[in-house]
Amino acid sequence: VKAILRAHVVSGACLVIGIAVIAALPSFMGAFETRNMSQVGLYFIALLGLNIVTGYSGQISLGQGAFMGVGGYTTAFLATEHGWGVWWTIPVAAVIAGVSGFLFGIPALRLHGPYLALGTFALAVAFVDLVRSDRFVDVTGGSQGLFFGLPEAPYYETWGIALGALLVAWLVLAGKFGRALKAVRDAELAAVSSGLNPAVFKTLAFALSATYAGVAGALLVIQLGSVNYLVFVPTLSITLLVGTALGGFGLLFGTIFGALFIQYAPLKAEEWANEVGLSNELPPSVTYGVFLLLVLFLMPGGAAQLVLRVRGLFSTTKQRYTRPTVGEGTTQRSDT
Amino acid sequence: MRKAALLFVAAAGSLVFGLTGAAGGAEATPGVTAKVVTIGGTFPLSGPAASYAPIARGIVAYYSYENATKRGADKARGCGGRQVKYIVEDDAFNPTQTVTKTIKLVQQDKVFATVGGLGTEPQQQVRAYLNKNGIPQVYVSTGATFWGSQQKEWKWTIGWQPDYQGEGAIYGRRIKAQTPNAKIAIIYQNDDYGKDYIAGLEAGLGSNKSQIVATRGYNLTDASVAPQLLALRGSGADTLMIFATPTHTIRTYATLRAIGWKPANVYLNSVSATDTFMTLALANSNAATVNGSISVQYLKDPASPEWANDAGMNLYKQIMGKYLPNAKVTDGLYLYGFAKARSFCNVLDSIPKGKLTRASLMAKVLNFTETNKLNPFFLPGVSSTTSKSDKFPLSAERLIEFENGGWKAVGQLVDPRPSKKK
Repeated sequence: VKAILRAHVVSGACLVIGIAVIAALPSFMGAFETRNMSQVGLYFIALLGLNIVTGYSGQISLGQGAFMGVGGYTTAFLATEHGWGVWWTIPVAAVIAGVSGFLFGIPALRLHGPYLALGTFALAVAFVDLVRSDRFVDVTGGSQGLFFGLPEAPYYETWGIALGALLVAWLVLAGKFGRALKAVRDAELAAVSSGLNPAVFKTLAFALSATYAGVAGALLVIQLGSVNYLVFVPTLSITLLVGTALGGFGLLFGTIFGALFIQYAPLKAEEWANEVGLSNELPPSVTYGVFLLLVLFLMPGGAAQLVLRVRGLFSTTKQRYTRPTVGEGTTQRSDT
Repeated sequence: MRKAALLFVAAAGSLVFGLTGAAGGAEATPGVTAKVVTIGGTFPLSGPAASYAPIARGIVAYYSYENATKRGADKARGCGGRQVKYIVEDDAFNPTQTVTKTIKLVQQDKVFATVGGLGTEPQQQVRAYLNKNGIPQVYVSTGATFWGSQQKEWKWTIGWQPDYQGEGAIYGRRIKAQTPNAKIAIIYQNDDYGKDYIAGLEAGLGSNKSQIVATRGYNLTDASVAPQLLALRGSGADTLMIFATPTHTIRTYATLRAIGWKPANVYLNSVSATDTFMTLALANSNAATVNGSISVQYLKDPASPEWANDAGMNLYKQIMGKYLPNAKVTDGLYLYGFAKARSFCNVLDSIPKGKLTRASLMAKVLNFTETNKLNPFFLPGVSSTTSKSDKFPLSAERLIEFENGGWKAVGQLVDPRPSKKK
């Protein structure tokens, strides 16, 4: 009991420090950095959602970008066609994305491991063609997209919502629901035999994850002031999964590292390539790839696990921590 | 009381701005110092459209040359008496990145103007931001017609290359004049880009619009264009229009060969008609399929032997050899970058050094004539003109035909928008 209490105190303290840092940052940053950090905030939300479905319920989703797109297009449509204030569109975007996730989750459950990954990726690929096709031009603006405002950097609004999203995820996952998800992930047969219906929990996880994505997508579109099909391309979904992996599957606080990586790695890779004078020889994506490999080598299991490991060095009660295996519902974890 | 507080805030604010602006001179135009003018643009150096990256490399190489060479009326290095610092930002053809990188160019790099930014959708997504802040967005690297037709609403934005509708109209007029009984089938990219071309073709055909017997669109993510081409062949058409982007153009040629369809006439839009892509088309189909294709061009083709002894081409090769020694010199996209960089350099040259502001730049860009003498990378006779009634800078193209691995000129220069001419 003492250990649990102490763990909560530590996490609480970390959270308070984190909030203080984020609240104070804009005073030290220029307009451009503030904008970057606003985007980190929305990636943070998207990654939290993806972590619920991938990290906690053990399903690999390569469709998170499409659910962001559902949210983003909802916001753009309501703002452009119906003149809504952008902030009022967020709840609607969340609900529509969540319902889409729920509906997609029902058939998706029949797929496992790599097949689920492929199924969700198909969603990401199809989404681009759907929104730019003529059939939905009245809603999506076709290949031109929708324009309703100027790029903005709503820093505090984004991080306020991110904090709320973090607390909700924390509460949900710490309770019965979270335990059930982990049980389904780690030992599906055992979960079934103890009366859990894996299908229900997986679908709910999918819906919750998509809701988060919807909010993130809405925020992204608000920050752009416009949307078109190129915003939510399949590579976004891949990037988000990479971000989740870097943060650490099944570890909420690692998500912040993943979000920072998504936003800053491409920017910094390019700057670095320019400084070294490689920019004429190598596309920035190659430097980005090298960055990614380095991070994966240095921090297998993600940033969160690195922190845990460092903490483990100083703690008296040796906590053994192994990287959770994702996608195989039968692997045992030793830390739970 | 409140007024006083406001005044105080305003004073404090202007103090802060004054301090940050002090480095560049308080009154100065952003990006312009006595010695340097800083400009930039976003390009897909990575991602699905990375094949356009040579344009950015070409622009940078050309300014490296200008910065080291005494040229122009003032016999000074650089353009308009200043060194040109051109900042390339990679947006991976993703508008989220385009917005971020454009704001970086404006807020962090403090560019004077964005020049040559690439891609219809990405550039369209930063147009409102740049116009709202009065930052020139000139010579965008896209041929969508609206850059010209909407110039009056977006005062800080203008295109450069001949527009897609104008090009489509050239094909339409040629078909109407030469093969009025031909039956036309169209394969096109199913978006505004493809439709821009179709609208132009229909305008060019005029009363002969009914010559079009079948149209089929493909989506950017389609792996195959066989269903479209089979349907088009079934329509009995003898003339095929390919209004596509490079990947699907190559795929179209490969499929034509595979299904054994050889239309009497094939028209190919200029976007895909560069040496690099045609070589790939040839490799993926065969000479019989690709030969005879008709397209247009407005710049000199570095792959064509036609320019072996041309001064402009020699300059191009010399600069490429010095600044991009490992690049593929026959790739026309580098030359496109050169031509565009030179166009902007010419504008700078024509503004007195002390008078360079964002407003004076736009005034010049919107009322400017640049002949082939000023820009040795244009085809002979091609010029770039803007005036009160003409917001389409480059306005002459030449029909070309693909033969034995290269393009050959057929006929004189034509104006894509003859009605605009005075």
